Amino acid sequence: MSEPMPVVKGTLDLLVLKALSWAPMHGFEVTTWIEERSAGALGFDDSAVYQALYRMEKRGLIEAAWGVTENNRKARYYGLAPEGREHLAAETARLLRFAETVTGILTAAEARPA
Amino acid sequence: MIRPGIRRLFRLPVRRGAPVAADLDDEIRLHLELRAEQLEKRGMPAAAARAEALRRFGAMDEARGGLYRAAQRREWSMRAREWLETVGQDARYALRTLRSNPGFAAVAVLTLALGVGANTAFFSVIDGVLLRPLPFREAERLVVVWETDRHSGTTREPAAWPDYLDFARRSTTVRDMAVLLGMEVNLTPATGEPARLSAVASSAGYFGLVGVRPLLGRGFTPEEDRPGGARTVVLGEAFWRARFRGDPGVIGRTIRLDDKAYTVVGVVPAGADVGVDQIHEQAAYHAPYTGAGDVDVWVPLQAGEADYPRDTHPFFIVGRLAPGAGVEAAQAELGRIGAEVERTYPSNDGRGVHVEALERVVFGPVRPALLVLWGAVALVLLVACVNVANLLLARGAARAREVAVRTAVGAGLDRLGRQFLVESVVLALLGGLAGIALAWALLRALLVLAPADVPRLGEVGLDGRVLAMTLAVSLAVGIAFGLVPLAQARWVDVARTLRSEGGRGATGGRARRRVRQALVVAELALSVALVVGAGLLIRSFWTVLRSDPGFRAEGVLKAQFELPQSRYPQDFKVWPAWKEVHALHATVLERARALPGVRSAALAAVHPLDAGFTNSWSVVGREAESGDWPEISVRQVTPGYFPTLGIRLLRGRLLEESDDAAAPGVGVINETAAKRFFAGRDPLGQVIQIWGRVRWRIVGVIADERIHGVTEAAPPALYLPFAQAPGASGVLLVRTAGDPARLANPLRRAIWAVDPGLAVYGVEPLQATLVASVAQRRFTMLVLGAFAAVALLLALVGVHGVLSYTVSQRGAEMGIRMALGATRRDVVALVLRGGIGLALLGTALGIVAALAGTRLLASLLYGVGTLDPLTFLAVPAAVLAAAALASWLPARRATKADPVVALRAE
Repeated sequence: MSEPMPVVKGTLDLLVLKALSWAPMHGFEVTTWIEERSAGALGFDDSAVYQALYRMEKRGLIEAAWGVTENNRKARYYGLAPEGREHLAAETARLLRFAETVTGILTAAEARPA
Repeated sequence: MIRPGIRRLFRLPVRRGAPVAADLDDEIRLHLELRAEQLEKRGMPAAAARAEALRRFGAMDEARGGLYRAAQRREWSMRAREWLETVGQDARYALRTLRSNPGFAAVAVLTLALGVGANTAFFSVIDGVLLRPLPFREAERLVVVWETDRHSGTTREPAAWPDYLDFARRSTTVRDMAVLLGMEVNLTPATGEPARLSAVASSAGYFGLVGVRPLLGRGFTPEEDRPGGARTVVLGEAFWRARFRGDPGVIGRTIRLDDKAYTVVGVVPAGADVGVDQIHEQAAYHAPYTGAGDVDVWVPLQAGEADYPRDTHPFFIVGRLAPGAGVEAAQAELGRIGAEVERTYPSNDGRGVHVEALERVVFGPVRPALLVLWGAVALVLLVACVNVANLLLARGAARAREVAVRTAVGAGLDRLGRQFLVESVVLALLGGLAGIALAWALLRALLVLAPADVPRLGEVGLDGRVLAMTLAVSLAVGIAFGLVPLAQARWVDVARTLRSEGGRGATGGRARRRVRQALVVAELALSVALVVGAGLLIRSFWTVLRSDPGFRAEGVLKAQFELPQSRYPQDFKVWPAWKEVHALHATVLERARALPGVRSAALAAVHPLDAGFTNSWSVVGREAESGDWPEISVRQVTPGYFPTLGIRLLRGRLLEESDDAAAPGVGVINETAAKRFFAGRDPLGQVIQIWGRVRWRIVGVIADERIHGVTEAAPPALYLPFAQAPGASGVLLVRTAGDPARLANPLRRAIWAVDPGLAVYGVEPLQATLVASVAQRRFTMLVLGAFAAVALLLALVGVHGVLSYTVSQRGAEMGIRMALGATRRDVVALVLRGGIGLALLGTALGIVAALAGTRLLASLLYGVGTLDPLTFLAVPAAVLAAAALASWLPARRATKADPVVALRAE
């Protein structure tokens, strides 16, 4: 397997938000969700996920509550707040646009635009 | 999984400190456990799984530290947001409540605005005038070194030049000294009219001594400060901006002062002249300096012993205390030095030294008045607060039902308490805002009315400090009020309130009414005290206005000028034969008399409200006795002076045209001089000697002129004919048939027709000068009167409010009474009795307070005692009458209550 790519803070925030957009999760669930979707291609410390969660909770993008896991263990669950949903949509669109633009330049068959 | 309904509880209660750390650790622990389990499921041994879980988490210490900080920030942020939201909710609710009760809101906000606004306006005056430090370096170390005269009993005399040199050389407690003298000079600009400038001649060290740094250029050098030194001038900032438009190129230019060319070497900032006015004003010897306003120009003193020998006392000494020395030490040392000088030089007989802090000289005169007024303003605020408290109490009773319901439903008392607090703060802040607007208007009015001699009044404004204080006062008031409804809420008996129909059981009936009545009585007492104080001041002012100044000012116009040496040589060696001066005087008088409407005209060296100068004197044949006499005021006048000003002749004759330079020297004395120095003998025919060799035979005695101001007794005075004793300064006084102000321009033109280069100033009806001289008294009276009126109005509103409320609460009772046969008149009488009872109690308490308090006004009164019976009787009578009126309105309303309706509602 190739070397895992480092993740920019802002992008990790988006990934966390995306995870939470499916359902409320606790920190470990968010971490494994990202790992599975990225097939391990992204490299980041587990604590970075919690940093992102705390940061975004402070900003009001996500909300938190204590709950219990299936095994009756106490866990802190995070859910997406309306502002978070908006932020996710807007930032995702921006990121995709950015990637598209850069990709377009790098894969250009011609030296000049068509 | 997540518990159902967890959405609703998604907002966690905020936790701090240890719980944050504990929660964080729980979260981390769970994560590590789950990770380790995941890895074990994939086949890793337990220990390795745990290690790998740790590794994947990141450097634990660092990571945990970072997470802990992030968690703390998170908690803080959420706590703040929650708090803001609650307070915001409460505030919005409060505004809604106020909007639904516009009457209450309007009255409360206006009342608070009055109290807070008046205080803000006044505080900015106090701050700008008294509290701000003088613009000098370590101003508290500056002192004025006066001389004293044992014979005349004065303690604030200017000093002699050689005395100053001795003091400066010998004193160790006063490290530095400088000398100044205020005066007036003519400015003859290249274009435009000549103007009269206020000037100060100072020794070279003055600016450095007080700590003034020039805005441009420099001060004076010691070389310039010598007799015959270069003619240099330093401009005052206001003058520089007005005349030279703030041009920095003014350095090096020349201006003509008194027809001589002076080179500008510097500009000093506004405020460099602080104290000059007050020093001159408080000096027993009045230099020819009218003061009031910025000093326009400064010139070097250039004094020397030849021109200013030890027996003349023209200058004021300012000094800086040596480090560690106090005013008392300086007084002791300089008193001793003064005594030594007195022993050494016979000319200094009776002269001593008096050292006074400069700050006291500047602020002393206004401090008592300002503090009294501030006390009044604080009382007004108190009355306003009491009124609003009453309003809140009344409203609280009306809201008892709401409080009961909310308490029953489970709102904790501190939730309610917080809400009431926010309500009160919102009310208070609204009042504060309105108060600031009111303060701005009040300040405009204050600055217009204020007398000119209040120091630094021009710099007073609503600055940051003042606004911050207003905010603080509003908040304090709001919080204090917030406690009122809270206390009330405690009193509410929930069960009884909910059960009874109109929430009537909740009023706490008697107790609450008593509290409100007590508050109203307190308000009345405070207002009565204020009104008594104002009444005393009004009576004083009226007495002052009615007192006889000794001359008749109505119908008289004055115009002042000073003759420059260049065109009107004033050589003391040939005095009084000053040809040009006499010629000008004669021509000016002739032209003035020729103006239409002029009944008589006269010239004098100074006008009747200018104390002029004094001189030591003796009576021929009584020289030994005269040695102990105080100096006499010398007034140089033309014969027309007495008829023009309506001064009565008591004995002998007035001065006449025939008393000219060729005739023997004559003079008239005033009644004070006659009584004091010629008691039991005839002054007529006695000969007075002043200025060494000159003699004057007394030919008449005239009534006193109050030259020191209407409220001061007239000093002994000697009137000499202008023709025999000319002076360089002149005051033209004309009595007119009609309004003197209309002659102002014709009079100016008449003088300019004789000499266009003369600066003519001070042209105003003498009546205006008279009124201006009592300006401070008038100001204090008007302000205190306004405050007293406001306080009384608020108190009466309070009386009205309490009685209205009582009437509305006791509507049923009134109805029953009338049904049982009471007439309308009986009901009115019942309510009126209540109101008048309150008023009597309040007035009585107010009188007691006034009896104790008017002592504070003693220094401001004139012709009226602090316990003046007329005021102490009139005020309560007036207040009672007003209170009766305020009670009558609700009383009338009580009779309108339809008994049937009232009974049914019960």
